[in-house]
Amino acid sequence: MLQHFDPNKDYGTPARVSENLVTLDIDGVTVTVPEGTSVLRAAALVDINIPKLCASDNLDAFGSCRLCAVQIEGRRGYPASCTTPVDAGMKVVTQNEKIAKLRRNIMELYISDHPLDCLTCPSNGDCELQDMAGAVGLREVRYGFDGHNHLDAEKDLSNPYFSFDPSKCIVCSRCVRACEEVQGTFALTVDGRGFDSKIAAGQDDSFLNSDCVSCGACVQACPTSTLMENNVIEMGQPEHSVVTTCAYCGVGCSFKADMKGDQVIRMVPYKGGEANQGHSCVKGRFAFGYATHKDRIKTPMIRDSINEAWREVSWEEAIGFAAKRLKEVQATYGRESIGGITSSRCTNEETYLVQKLIRAGFGNNNTDTCARVCHSPTGYGLKTTLGESAGTQTFDSIKYTDTMLVIGANPTDAHPVFGSMMRRRLREGAKLIVADPRKIDLLKTPHLKDAIHLPLRPGTNVALVNSLAHTIMSEGLEDKAFIDSRCDDKAFIKWQAFITEERNSPEAMQSITGVDAEDVRKAARVYANAGNGAIFYGLGVTEHSQGSTMVMGIANLALATGNIGREGVGVNPLRGQNNVQGSCDMGSFPHELPGYQHVADDEARGRFEAAWGVKLDDEPGLRIPNMFDAALAGSFKALYVQGEDIAQSDPNTQHVEAALKALDCVIVQDIFLNETAKFAHVLLPGSTFLEKNGTFTNAERRINRVRKVMPALAGKEDWEVTVALSNALGYEMNYSHPSEIMDEIASLTPSFTGVNYERLEELGSIQWPCNDQHPDGMPIMHVEDFPIGKGNLAITEYVATDERATRRFPLLLTTGRILSQYNVGAQTRRTENQTWHNEDVLELHPHDAEERGVNEGDWLGISSRAGQTVLRAVISERMQPGVVYTTFHHPGSGANVITTDSSDWATNCPEYKVTAVQVEKVTQPSEWQKNFEDFNTKQQDYLKKGRRSRTEEVSP
Amino acid sequence: MSHSQLDQLIIMANQIADNNHLDTDAESIEFIATHIKKFWARSMKEELIAYAQEGGDKLNVLATQAIMVLSEQYTSRST
Repeated sequence: MLQHFDPNKDYGTPARVSENLVTLDIDGVTVTVPEGTSVLRAAALVDINIPKLCASDNLDAFGSCRLCAVQIEGRRGYPASCTTPVDAGMKVVTQNEKIAKLRRNIMELYISDHPLDCLTCPSNGDCELQDMAGAVGLREVRYGFDGHNHLDAEKDLSNPYFSFDPSKCIVCSRCVRACEEVQGTFALTVDGRGFDSKIAAGQDDSFLNSDCVSCGACVQACPTSTLMENNVIEMGQPEHSVVTTCAYCGVGCSFKADMKGDQVIRMVPYKGGEANQGHSCVKGRFAFGYATHKDRIKTPMIRDSINEAWREVSWEEAIGFAAKRLKEVQATYGRESIGGITSSRCTNEETYLVQKLIRAGFGNNNTDTCARVCHSPTGYGLKTTLGESAGTQTFDSIKYTDTMLVIGANPTDAHPVFGSMMRRRLREGAKLIVADPRKIDLLKTPHLKDAIHLPLRPGTNVALVNSLAHTIMSEGLEDKAFIDSRCDDKAFIKWQAFITEERNSPEAMQSITGVDAEDVRKAARVYANAGNGAIFYGLGVTEHSQGSTMVMGIANLALATGNIGREGVGVNPLRGQNNVQGSCDMGSFPHELPGYQHVADDEARGRFEAAWGVKLDDEPGLRIPNMFDAALAGSFKALYVQGEDIAQSDPNTQHVEAALKALDCVIVQDIFLNETAKFAHVLLPGSTFLEKNGTFTNAERRINRVRKVMPALAGKEDWEVTVALSNALGYEMNYSHPSEIMDEIASLTPSFTGVNYERLEELGSIQWPCNDQHPDGMPIMHVEDFPIGKGNLAITEYVATDERATRRFPLLLTTGRILSQYNVGAQTRRTENQTWHNEDVLELHPHDAEERGVNEGDWLGISSRAGQTVLRAVISERMQPGVVYTTFHHPGSGANVITTDSSDWATNCPEYKVTAVQVEKVTQPSEWQKNFEDFNTKQQDYLKKGRRSRTEEVSP
Repeated sequence: MSHSQLDQLIIMANQIADNNHLDTDAESIEFIATHIKKFWARSMKEELIAYAQEGGDKLNVLATQAIMVLSEQYTSRST
């Protein structure tokens, strides 16, 4: 890979950026580095490796261990090279007898209070303390080991993923600084003074009971085995590594999979990853055990009806069975009676193949993806206003942001690594505005000043964004020069007239949004006068009946204030799953071919027809909710689902279940028997990200390589399964490696023409568009113009949702995610992350709890017009009165039994964020929950019987 | 609680109309028709066209007129 630095080397202190270069002499070598660079780093850049212990290039220099002492001509003593910035003409000596003696003395003191169990120590072979003892030539410890020491200090084994052994701690405070500087949680501290100094979590709590979020930054920072992964303790040091991309959220972190043969020992965040820059969260860092969990489906299975046991069969038989059923359905009910759903968890190549199979093999456009239920309004809204269905920035751009406007997003839980980058910028002084019904954790960022929270009522986003825009325009805060040069005149004039109408003022909207008008005006001023104002938004924007309108309202704000087209600004959708951006790019939506080319565009469709050798339909196909409706109406009869769990994740569960039951053939390709698979007739084993090659595209349009680190447990990678199904259906596909699929994508997708695996190896990652105009990709979009020429300010009339609080349903339910669990929980529920969240609960404000006589932990029945479920109560002041909240990570919780069929007017994205409900104390589970348990027990039994039959068959 | 397919299509069409009152009715009708043409499946359009042709009582005024515009386009397309 082309790197300006070696990501596997620690340069001691962070890189500095400066136009002023400084030249100095280190051990006779002339070095030129940016002003502000430390002597330690300058030396490391020319491979003069000064010993160090408390320094690391992801932490600010601290200067406590003194091991990196050097001599500098004209200066007294032995300054620490980590805290000494370079000076022009400086002459540095890093090695001589005096320095060597000093370093040996320092190491001797450290080792005098350190157990000498190197041979049995978990970090043997990967220990900086051991390395430094060797580097300085320590041969004896003159002090002996009989004096006061910490060798009997008690271990903290409370965290399921790592251990804390204070007997090995040298109190370098790298863990404390990593928790503060990298993660931004401030969970660790150095307690006591002098000899009594020790690392403590919180107020001397256990790690598990402290504020620690188990991101692993402290473990990574530790130069000894004080903080050590339990896997390494149990299995020993890894022997090789493969760089790959995390399969959890849309941040798309790069990790080194540290391996022992085919076994993953640990996942270590990769410093060369442009998205995460060496940081991680509890999911990506530790929660990978699901990949080898006993529940993995490793053999294909079929059955004629969902009321009978599965039969384990060969791949050939399963694929043949699936193809036959699909053909029979089409022969009986017509070409449009079948369809499929691509996965935002699978790779670009796999997603591309599924939609290709549907369009070319099934002969219709009934393809959709789970982005339908999360970010489809982003696609519509941004394409309408900015001309491209994608976020405008890099994550790194936040380093230049002066004000963050965070709307309907909870980054510290849902996009934790980017949440840490946000917190770092906030600590540096950036301002924060949060528009959210709940007090999200970002508002509790340590050292945050002057945050504005706009606690709007669920369902009133557009009213709020309009009143922000009204303030900007009526108070003359707009960027006139930007509007004149970059925005469409006619659209702007129309929009200006609309938005400045009094009915859009904060004062007029106050009764709708519930947000104090003066706070709205203040927030608008802060954003408009920011210098660099950046908007970050999540599903709290899109999952509404006006999700698309709100996305356009957000783009309007950025256009009106000129916050587009440079570092530090922009419109940044925070994507939920790892490859939501990619699945949209790859043509998963029924109306768009790869690269957002409409199926009715004869020229674009013609190119696909020529390449795929088949005539394509020029009409859009069914979207996911339309498929359900058509299934119940009897016109849609078969579905191929790759890597999605619509029975748990989609709204109005009872409607979804009825639709699935109405289908003649459901083919599920997944790593587990998920909720949807319980309604299936064919179960094809899926492969995890560890078992395949491919690419993911993250929320900043960054295409990252996914590299296979272990064989596919069931023998086939997901793309191979789609190829086999297509061939069995008679539409020939012939690929020997995902790189060939990417080459085909590039040949048909204008924004991908420059993307191929060789280029990805060379550049590390590529942010599309990547083509002749942008051969290395495009980190910041819309710098000079928009794909539609000028920015289009759109009219965003507020229209109230039909989901409103009534006498029968007086509360509003909003749903979301939590840090330790991921989406439907299929992966994280099969890891130790269960320690933190083993059930979904209902959060409600103390006022609402008191009104209903609810105490913490009570069972609560939650009813909506769609259904009823029962959850345990958590009373929380982060809620506002009248609003309740839950997550949907556990299938038996039935969060989506309550959510309704209300959806975005433009895209049918469900309105998960607003459901009118009533809450009351109950004593038993809901009817749905009882039925769920019965159905689940039955289906698990069918699975066991299927597995047993195969075992009996193959036994002698 | 679930709507039939037709009920759902009516809700969706009305919702598009409610969210897009443009300067003139003609502009609104054109927008609604174009949106449905661009994003809805053939079978959904056909079902709603058939409903509108039979009176379309539950469709609001703008949605009805937009469906009639689509009806003309799809009729002329198939002939």
